[in-house]
Amino acid sequence: MTPFLALDNVSKSFGPIEVLHGISLQLRAGEVHALIGENGAGKSTTMKILAGYQPATSGAIRLEGQAIAFPTMRAAEERGIVMIHQEFNLAEPLTVEQNMFLGRELRRGPFLRRAEMARQTRTQLDRVRCRAETDALVRDLSNSDKQMLEIAKALSREAKLLIMDEPTAVLTPNETEILFEQVRELRAQGAAVLFTSHKLDEVKAIADRVTIMRDGRVVHSGPASEMTEHQMAEAMVGRELSDLYPDRAVQASGAVVLRVRDLDVPGHASGIGLELHKGEILGIAGMVGSGRTEAMEGLCGLRPAKGHVEIDGQAVTIRRPSDALSRGLCYLTEDRKTRGLLLGKSMRENVTLQAIPRTAGVMIDRAAEEAVLDRAIADFDIRAGARSVKAGNLSGGNQQKLLLAKVMQSDPRILIVDEPTRGIDIGTKQQIYRFLRDLAGQGLSVIVVSSEMQELIGLCDRVMVMREGRITGQVTGQDINERAIVRLAMGLAEAETSPRREDAYHD
Amino acid sequence: MTDTAATAPARPSRRLPPMSVLGPVLALIILIAVGAMLNPNFLSYANISNVLSRSAFIGIIAVGMTFVITAGGLDLSVGSMAAFIAGLMILVMNAALPSLGVGLPVILLGIATALVAGLVAGLINGLLITRAGIEAFIVTLGAMGIYRSLVTWLADGGTLSLAFELRTFYRPVYYGGIMGVSWPIIVFIAVVILGEIFMSRGVFGRHVAATGASLEVAHYSNVNTNRVRLITYVVLGLLVGVATIMYVPRLGSASSTTGLLWELEAIAAVIIGGTVLKGGFGRVWGTVIGVLILSLIENILNLTDLVSPYLNGAVQGVIIILAVILQREGKTGK
Amino acid sequence: MTYAGKILLTASALALSTGAALAQDTTVIGVSIPAATHGWAGGMNFHAQQTVARLEETYPQLDFVLATASNAAEQVNDIEDMVATRNIAALVVLPFESEPLTGPVQALSQAGTWITVVDRGLSVEGIEDLYVAGDNPGFGRVAGEYFTEAMPDGGQIVVLRGIPTTIDNERLAGFEGAIEGSGIEILAAEHGNWNRDDSFTVMQDFLSRYPNIDAVWASDDDMAVGAMAAIDAAGREDIQFVLGGAGMKEMIQRTMEGDAMVPANVTYPPAMIATAIEMTAVGMVSNAPVSGQFTIGSVLITQENAERFYYPDSPF
Repeated sequence: MTPFLALDNVSKSFGPIEVLHGISLQLRAGEVHALIGENGAGKSTTMKILAGYQPATSGAIRLEGQAIAFPTMRAAEERGIVMIHQEFNLAEPLTVEQNMFLGRELRRGPFLRRAEMARQTRTQLDRVRCRAETDALVRDLSNSDKQMLEIAKALSREAKLLIMDEPTAVLTPNETEILFEQVRELRAQGAAVLFTSHKLDEVKAIADRVTIMRDGRVVHSGPASEMTEHQMAEAMVGRELSDLYPDRAVQASGAVVLRVRDLDVPGHASGIGLELHKGEILGIAGMVGSGRTEAMEGLCGLRPAKGHVEIDGQAVTIRRPSDALSRGLCYLTEDRKTRGLLLGKSMRENVTLQAIPRTAGVMIDRAAEEAVLDRAIADFDIRAGARSVKAGNLSGGNQQKLLLAKVMQSDPRILIVDEPTRGIDIGTKQQIYRFLRDLAGQGLSVIVVSSEMQELIGLCDRVMVMREGRITGQVTGQDINERAIVRLAMGLAEAETSPRREDAYHD
Repeated sequence: MTDTAATAPARPSRRLPPMSVLGPVLALIILIAVGAMLNPNFLSYANISNVLSRSAFIGIIAVGMTFVITAGGLDLSVGSMAAFIAGLMILVMNAALPSLGVGLPVILLGIATALVAGLVAGLINGLLITRAGIEAFIVTLGAMGIYRSLVTWLADGGTLSLAFELRTFYRPVYYGGIMGVSWPIIVFIAVVILGEIFMSRGVFGRHVAATGASLEVAHYSNVNTNRVRLITYVVLGLLVGVATIMYVPRLGSASSTTGLLWELEAIAAVIIGGTVLKGGFGRVWGTVIGVLILSLIENILNLTDLVSPYLNGAVQGVIIILAVILQREGKTGK
Repeated sequence: MTYAGKILLTASALALSTGAALAQDTTVIGVSIPAATHGWAGGMNFHAQQTVARLEETYPQLDFVLATASNAAEQVNDIEDMVATRNIAALVVLPFESEPLTGPVQALSQAGTWITVVDRGLSVEGIEDLYVAGDNPGFGRVAGEYFTEAMPDGGQIVVLRGIPTTIDNERLAGFEGAIEGSGIEILAAEHGNWNRDDSFTVMQDFLSRYPNIDAVWASDDDMAVGAMAAIDAAGREDIQFVLGGAGMKEMIQRTMEGDAMVPANVTYPPAMIATAIEMTAVGMVSNAPVSGQFTIGSVLITQENAERFYYPDSPF
């Protein structure tokens, strides 16, 4: 059978640097194809070439066997190729309905057919079980709703090939399942689907065929059923992948370094109490929207909050980020693109922004800055073509490493990391887990906020669970398992957990 | 997309600077060449000195404006503010003349008045923008009207004039100088050097750029964005005061037409110089080039009969747009 | 751009309250003038306010509403407001520009409102009941005649022009007509916009451009001040005199004191607005015939007659 769309020995160069080396790939109708690889392996570029966003430097693109070059993405779209980006391609100030029909509005003469568009939008959203109102502003939607809207929008175009760049990164497990149902339906209708994901269990669950890329080359392509998740991971990384999670240190229950009581973050969290010990990694679990992020931001002075905070046994008042930083309390945001990094600035400017090396108090010490960057690149294994690369042009994993390096510049003693591995590949994940564990080993205390259950289970010494702005319980050591966390997160099993002192602080 | 190889610690190679850097410089050089071709007096000491001295007011203000715009702000009130401060200075100095007599104390009083008034005016703008959270455009548009009306009111619709004796004494601050370089030029250069150092080498400049690039990222990176923005407005107000100190001795008067359109000239100079209007990136040296381009166009038009005086504005407009086009790296808008 | 908002006189604001009670027997006169954006306009505003205050006291049955506008569109709005909210019986208007105001004023005239036009004529003839104007060609001519007299052997001069308007064109035409054949050569004429700073800049550039300039026609006293500052700074001795215009008090004073740089002046009295308001008021309260055209000629001021034109209280 002729593939619907195929790449034949395609290479791509940016300036003098070749980033794709002779990629061949076949996408067939009625087949779900997973493209996996580490960040920077060339997945995004491959997809952009497939969708007509970027031309290939050499090689052929064949649509149903015919060599073709898409001059624009629109030309590709007209042939039934639709791509959903990792960064949403939505007009934030417009409504859901306006976005759904952006650029192809239904009209009667010069007038818009508002009612009809609203009706069709509702139908499409219902198809993906998205409950967003058609007249809600996209700006006000949650990330997962935005993703579902993007998917609904693509589905409404009756795509013959749907390309999705990490569609599940911001979705909850439930939403992911809804998406997969849609994907299966599309497959049954004879569409081709290509997606990337760092979640190999998802790949295993839905993909018919998997193509693995490493360093701009295809290293494996074959039926998904023939590989285990572990084999996929090893092929991506290109080496034996020992255990993803580092060994836990000997349960070092050091002194309490951070004690929080009755922390209220208006509108998001209330009555938060916790204790954090020296050398400990504490996980915070909970559904998206359970107030985890807001509680931590409130604790670090990033948003208005009230409560009692003690660091090293001393009561402290934290009103703004500098209050927290001066006491060694540092927060790494979950949103590296809009809160973490200045995407238009160089790595150097980013890495030192939180703690600029100075001379004479007001001047920047440029030599020290360069040294900081050198060290960051070495310590965190940041892979960028050149030093002058803008942060926005780094791959997600390298951005995350840069962000971590930046946060470490202020020498935190208590580090709160929010979704430290969202949207990054398994190799980088492993590096970040090692790094966090090393920090704990050096006597720092770490709080990890995460939606990835496996991450919390594999990495943390103790996990607290939040639900609707409150802490519903915690699990420790050997008791940390998915079931216990989910029950707490769903508000089912408060009594089952072993109560600890912190529990006295809530309810 | 990035290369997958680990980042080489190599420093950037030496090549021709990019068009964003060359563009404004090139525009300035072309303008100078055209001027020199059209009129032999163009490059004379007197003409250069004239042009630089009168550029100094807008120039000093534009340096402050560079910081405000880089931090993502805007200030439309500077022209009116200058007029108001000039009027206030003249009133204060005239009022103090009988008790203090002609001499340095009166001048120092005037200077102090200008600096304090500028500082307060900038502070009011900044506080309304950062604390009350009102759009910079609205706050400074309002302030523009208020100061313009205030100076008209102070002058009773006419002109406020510095007492004649004082004018003679104060005059050298505009016309005098050291070794043939007039004071406005010296002050302008000093402000530019300080501004450039703080913008490109200072922690403050980095914070200003970060604030303009993304308020959120800056906030999450422990930059006190409200304070940074407030300081940019205060600095700008202070520099308006400095410019006024240079302006008043020139004609010894202030009226409702003083400082007319200075805000737009200052903003235009900043943008011509390569600072990004929506914030995040700014360079003081570029602003200086922008100021020079603007005043040289006017100078050349006055020195020649190339175009009808009615078309002066059109020529300026075309050159301003060209200067910005020159900066683009051959890429077209998406 | 000036952002001078509409200033309604306190007097007229107060009049609102009393006016309501006396609505039956008060006649309202609207006065619409450009804002005080340059010296002459400042003087004109001063005289308008003074006259309104004085006339309101003299004629209790009269009520005035004064509005200043910083552009033509704003002036049209002002006039519309006056009609809508104050039901004016007469309008004294100094048009910002002729064209845009002709239509609205004409409509008002057709509705029976008394129209007094000051200084700048409207584009259509016969709209106004009373026209009080300065003599712009005459202003230029008087200046030109002074130049021919002061420079009998001819010479080279530069000209500073005002804001590009009909007024400015008429003045220049009058001036050029008067110096024709006298051997006086205009080296260049640029717009100084009736503004001190602009004329300073233009004059500096003239000085760079021409090694010899015998005299300057600044055509306005504000521009003369700017031009003289530039000449002073350059230390040039070749310029014999600068002739301004409109009779600013500081300049009249210098003429009075025999300053060689300011030997004369040409009147273009901003007080013409006072004449117009007063005549309109008289027309409203009496049967005295006031309609027609009333031109206030431009007069040459020299040291001999300067004292008659010196008003130390005026801001201009």
